[in-house]
Amino acid sequence: MLDPLPQESWSRRAAIHLLNRAGFGGSPDEQEALFRLGEESGIEAAVDSLLETSEDWSSQPWPDWALRDKDPNGDFYDPDGNTEASNSNSNFRNQGIRRREFTRWYFASLKEGQPLAAKLLKFFTDHFAIDSAAIGQYYRFIGLLRYFEILRKHAAGNVAGQDAPFEGDERLVPDGHYGNFRTMVNHVSWSIAMVRTLDLYVSTNRSINENFGRELLELFTLGVGDTYTNDNDDYTEEDVGTAAEAFTGRKIYNYRYPNNTNNGPYPAAVWQNNGLRDKSAKSFFGNVTMPGGADIVDGDDIIELIFNSTRCAKHLSWKLWRYFASPNPSKELVAALALRFRDTHDYEIRPFLKDIFLSQEFYDDSVINSQVKDAGDILTILEKQLEAPLVSKDAIEDVMQQLGYEILFPPSIAGWPEPDGEGNTWLSTGSMVFRMNMPSIWSHRNFDILTNNRVRNSLDEYPEVDWNSIAPRELRTIENFPLLIDALTKRFLPNKTLRKSQIRTLYQRYSAISEQLDSLEGVKELIRLLLALPEYQLQ
Amino acid sequence: MDINSKLNRRDFVAKSAWGATASLTLPGFLQQTLFNLDARAQSVPSNGGDGPILLLLEMAGGNDTLNTVIPYGNSIYNTARSSLRLNETHGFHKLTDKNGPSVTGNDEALALHPNLTYFDTLWKDGDLGIINGVGYPNPNLSHFSSYDYWHSAKPNTMSKDGWIGRYFDNQCDGCGSTSGIYINGRPTLAFRSSNGLSPTATFKNPGYFNWRDKSETGREQPLDKMYRKLIGLDHPTDDGISTTDTTLAYVQRAAHSAMVSTANVQAAIEEGGTLLTNSEWPTGNGLANNLKVIAQLIKGKSDTSIYYARQGGYDTHNNQVDVNLGPLAGRHFNLLDDLNGGLKAFIDEMKAQGIWDRVVILTFSEFGRKVIQNGSSGTDHGAAESLFVMGGQVNGNNYYGLYPDLAADARVKRNSMDFNVDFRTVYRTLLEKWMGVPPSAMPNIFPSQPVNFDPLAFL
Repeated sequence: MLDPLPQESWSRRAAIHLLNRAGFGGSPDEQEALFRLGEESGIEAAVDSLLETSEDWSSQPWPDWALRDKDPNGDFYDPDGNTEASNSNSNFRNQGIRRREFTRWYFASLKEGQPLAAKLLKFFTDHFAIDSAAIGQYYRFIGLLRYFEILRKHAAGNVAGQDAPFEGDERLVPDGHYGNFRTMVNHVSWSIAMVRTLDLYVSTNRSINENFGRELLELFTLGVGDTYTNDNDDYTEEDVGTAAEAFTGRKIYNYRYPNNTNNGPYPAAVWQNNGLRDKSAKSFFGNVTMPGGADIVDGDDIIELIFNSTRCAKHLSWKLWRYFASPNPSKELVAALALRFRDTHDYEIRPFLKDIFLSQEFYDDSVINSQVKDAGDILTILEKQLEAPLVSKDAIEDVMQQLGYEILFPPSIAGWPEPDGEGNTWLSTGSMVFRMNMPSIWSHRNFDILTNNRVRNSLDEYPEVDWNSIAPRELRTIENFPLLIDALTKRFLPNKTLRKSQIRTLYQRYSAISEQLDSLEGVKELIRLLLALPEYQLQ
Repeated sequence: MDINSKLNRRDFVAKSAWGATASLTLPGFLQQTLFNLDARAQSVPSNGGDGPILLLLEMAGGNDTLNTVIPYGNSIYNTARSSLRLNETHGFHKLTDKNGPSVTGNDEALALHPNLTYFDTLWKDGDLGIINGVGYPNPNLSHFSSYDYWHSAKPNTMSKDGWIGRYFDNQCDGCGSTSGIYINGRPTLAFRSSNGLSPTATFKNPGYFNWRDKSETGREQPLDKMYRKLIGLDHPTDDGISTTDTTLAYVQRAAHSAMVSTANVQAAIEEGGTLLTNSEWPTGNGLANNLKVIAQLIKGKSDTSIYYARQGGYDTHNNQVDVNLGPLAGRHFNLLDDLNGGLKAFIDEMKAQGIWDRVVILTFSEFGRKVIQNGSSGTDHGAAESLFVMGGQVNGNNYYGLYPDLAADARVKRNSMDFNVDFRTVYRTLLEKWMGVPPSAMPNIFPSQPVNFDPLAFL
């Protein structure tokens, strides 16, 4: 298992598939370039070109207000330049604007960042979902900014350096570096955002709150059930209790405001209060001591024991395969992946992904086009295909509400339901309707699908697309329709074939509109209809 | 009552041979057309327009039913809930007419949470039944596994289908595409059919559930007609659904279902018009907004027999009651206020429409919470819980099941209450006694059955 794809099996289809999964697809030129690279320099060179960890995200700086010295919660902010005195409800206004600018920053990172880093950022945002409401207004933005700093550094890999995250207890956050899954779980467990979201800040030896302990095992590491393993090695309720005990005493200390010195140095951070830590003897997940014989003491020990287990390796391999490849990997494949992830790569994410992208299994017919695009994919891919600038912050919020992907408000702490192909639960009837309607916002300025009795400043919200670049004039004559539809299919529906009846319908429609109005309207109509096809939902 | 005699006369067909094959390939609207040619269509149960209606209301996150149906006289409760406990001074509603039978043999004196004022009225009117001690063997304390178990009615297995989906699979070949409606952004496993063709729709806002394009640029035919043509919906022989690629077939069916159900829903909303109690609905209450849509669909005679609504937020690990203000403030207090307000408005509307006798409502949660409060003015995940069942024809003002024993040695899973009524018997009761499903269909709908599977007497 996991043998490399033979060089003679490399194809345009394989190149397109790789672009779709290691990023958000590519233009027809990019498809061709990656195919050529694989032809001329070998498949590994093609895969390496997508894995290069050059992205340090400096091209995607935080919003303006986040970079100031002052605490982003306490500092008045208004992009229109109003002063605090002129605005009676400054706090509310601040938070709403910041939330939208933050969300826009996230989508800019997806669209403009190094594609694999962006794709991983999206994975982490779901896997380690945090809830803005649970973080609470006092720690909201400082918590969110630092949290996403952790996520994106891990997404970028170890180019981001080896420094510990500055929001955790420097005495205690174990060594490790970015791009490693175990280190990442540690960093997350020391973050203000997660400590607030899953109630760690109130869990002490005197009164244990098991919220984090439970989700650490179920969601972040071990998982439950027998979907990906026959080992029958589920953790027990007692393990949940032990994990909860071990993570006691993590408190948020220091102050949020840099100009306030009364409460200790700025910025706030999560520290271990050993007086509030549970010190009872612990056994966990079949271990009575650490591998070296030392006692099991605290949360970091629990994480180490978890990552030593086969179950953790299988669960995370399964989840990464589902995200990057296909919804239903066999248990044998998961076992092979787990061996690579834990034993060969010691939970280093990018080397593990390289194994996946090189493997024969990844290019199997059952894997190509087996994913339903998730909501983050839908907007990012559409904008890339249209070569359209990112829409405004208000527009993103509108669209994401309809798609059910508000990154700061996950539907549950398990994140967003994954698209998992056949029989999945992701696509509701309502979101299918929106997905079919949505492209017409760009093609026809069809804001009806977003606004009930509300008029938006449409041109500012959604910049105009350069249709001449997508459908050059010379392709727009009726006789050239086969060339036009070929160009549009390559761009919007790569690796997919339309049925003859569909092409016939599209042709009739295109010629009718072109004659009645003009060929540009015909092109827009054609694109709207192509993008409403069920086939468009797949990658 | 008329409705029940009508139900009893129904002669439900088992899945007919050609019905089964038809349902695998034909879109819902075509099935319907074909079935209408068939005399057996008369026995198909989806006729929400004038038939029985079931509303499932999910209190997601794990409702703390110990603070909802409160055993206020129980010393274990009062000790375990030192700062969370509710008592007479909080203005709760004592159910003085009868105590709740308990596993211990000593009946529990019970009271409803102070915010459940309308529940108290329904109880007195005989329209509310309380089912105590509901759960299943070897309970799971994960939200996500527990959702799956309650939705699939197959505890402790990974299921690909839901109990409502299997009900439609078995009893509803040829139903319209909106036989079940869930007002939510995301679908529920409960509706999922084993063949991927559940006749249900899930959407959040009917205002967006539409093919809207007012610009109509150069358009001699409306957009939805073009879409129908492209996805093969109106094609006489080729339905356009892939026979080789299951994922593609899935999204193609989703598109078909979207086309057909948008038309049904828009027609019902239009037909329904303004609610009779329109001005009396609470504002700023998300649950009430969703129930309002359901009330409109019912008024517009949507061909829907099962409605589903969800109220999230019950995962009260912290600040379940307000640390400073006590039990008359905090997250649980607010949630139950919304629940009470939403259901009152909905039921008032049903009464105004004169159809309260046609409606049964079941509330449920994926689990109850632990007996002992945690250190954050909250409670952690538990097991057994209390359910509410309401309706004009419900045998109300009565308890079903037994209140669990709260004593330490009776607890399961680290301080959770143990069950004595399996939730699958509650589901079975609804299908058999309300939807008119024959007992012979139960093995198909509930492939996993509890030891005691006798229907309860609340209907």
